[in-house]
Amino acid sequence: MEYLKILKNNNVIYSGTRSHKLTQQSNTDFSIKFVFSGNENYSIGRRNLSIYPDSFLILNKGTNYTSAVDCTVPVHSFSISFDEKFMDNFKNCWQLKDDTLLKPNYNNRQESEFSETIYPFKGDLFFNIKHLKYHLDHGVQDEMLINEYLHHCLISYFKIYNEEIFQKAERLNFLNRSTKIEILRRLNLAKEYLYTNYNQNISLDDLAEYSCLSVNHLLRTFKQAFYLTPHQFLVQLRLQRAQVLLKNTDYPVNEIVSLIGFECPSSFIRLFREHFQTTPLKYRQSA
Amino acid sequence: MNIKYIPIYTDDVEKQLSFFTEKLGLEISGCKNILFGQECTIIKTKNPGVFIMILKQAHANTNTPPIILNTDDCLNDYHSLKTAGINFYNEPEYSPIGLGAEFSDPSGNRYLLIEERIYS
Repeated sequence: MEYLKILKNNNVIYSGTRSHKLTQQSNTDFSIKFVFSGNENYSIGRRNLSIYPDSFLILNKGTNYTSAVDCTVPVHSFSISFDEKFMDNFKNCWQLKDDTLLKPNYNNRQESEFSETIYPFKGDLFFNIKHLKYHLDHGVQDEMLINEYLHHCLISYFKIYNEEIFQKAERLNFLNRSTKIEILRRLNLAKEYLYTNYNQNISLDDLAEYSCLSVNHLLRTFKQAFYLTPHQFLVQLRLQRAQVLLKNTDYPVNEIVSLIGFECPSSFIRLFREHFQTTPLKYRQSA
Repeated sequence: MNIKYIPIYTDDVEKQLSFFTEKLGLEISGCKNILFGQECTIIKTKNPGVFIMILKQAHANTNTPPIILNTDDCLNDYHSLKTAGINFYNEPEYSPIGLGAEFSDPSGNRYLLIEERIYS
């Protein structure tokens, strides 16, 4: 089912299934992009980003991007654009009423732009989007209700933003706050590179070059921010995506191993068992 | 052994009945004399075999903890109950177990609507 819902307050919600499509556009409002199946590729300047059902992308107002779908399965995209006034009202109302924003991490922060990168699709945002989508798919027209969900989507997005940006920046061992933010911006480049190329052979040199850090600097700071080395992060991501394939497809395990970028089935099975205390086959049977 | 009747005190039975039937959409099951020799109205809840028992008391006690109601979608129920004119103490708030919002009935009894979310 495809729909483009433009609310009276100019918030826009799109849902649709696409295959092999290329679109080029300028993002007029702050947007959040999701996919519920397959993956969608976005190009922003020289950066290429792929989003999967476990992640989402945010785009600031005015960002030029190209989105392309080139996937063996139809891609179900879902996106929300928030009108500027709605965003401003949300920020004001949240900052005034909720003391979460008064915690040290939020002090004196009035950014109008967010870090344009890939974030994990988890927590309350996952539940709020799931409910919102359910109602829209079932033809709900009550804009008050839809806006209630959009308001809560922003609350839960801010929560993820706080965890992914401010809390991680705070963990970095630098005195200067702007250095922390800049290093984290580069680490997020590394993170999005891993998210996008997780099924390829990734060398540390490529990763360091993409994130504009030296290999040593990348290794040291990545661990401080994410509590994992880039390699551990990559393995975790591959295993997480293997779980999705095991659950939602009939692909044989050997095929999944190569789809997620592992070379050897036995090391995949060993790592899977270490992480989830079950084997891939048992996981598939129980899912 | 299981829970069958949940007593609710009220100083105005009529108001309380219209709250349960018109605003929460529950049905009256009948009248029974169970406690204190008092004939009281029994309301059928959405849990089979569990009933609300409305007891008249001059001054309803509002210091009791809230009755906790489970929902699959807190925002949706919050929105429809609020549209029906129910008085919420606060907007839905997040807690480590999920999303919840608290409201009261005309006698001041409290109800906490909770959507438990499994985050792992």
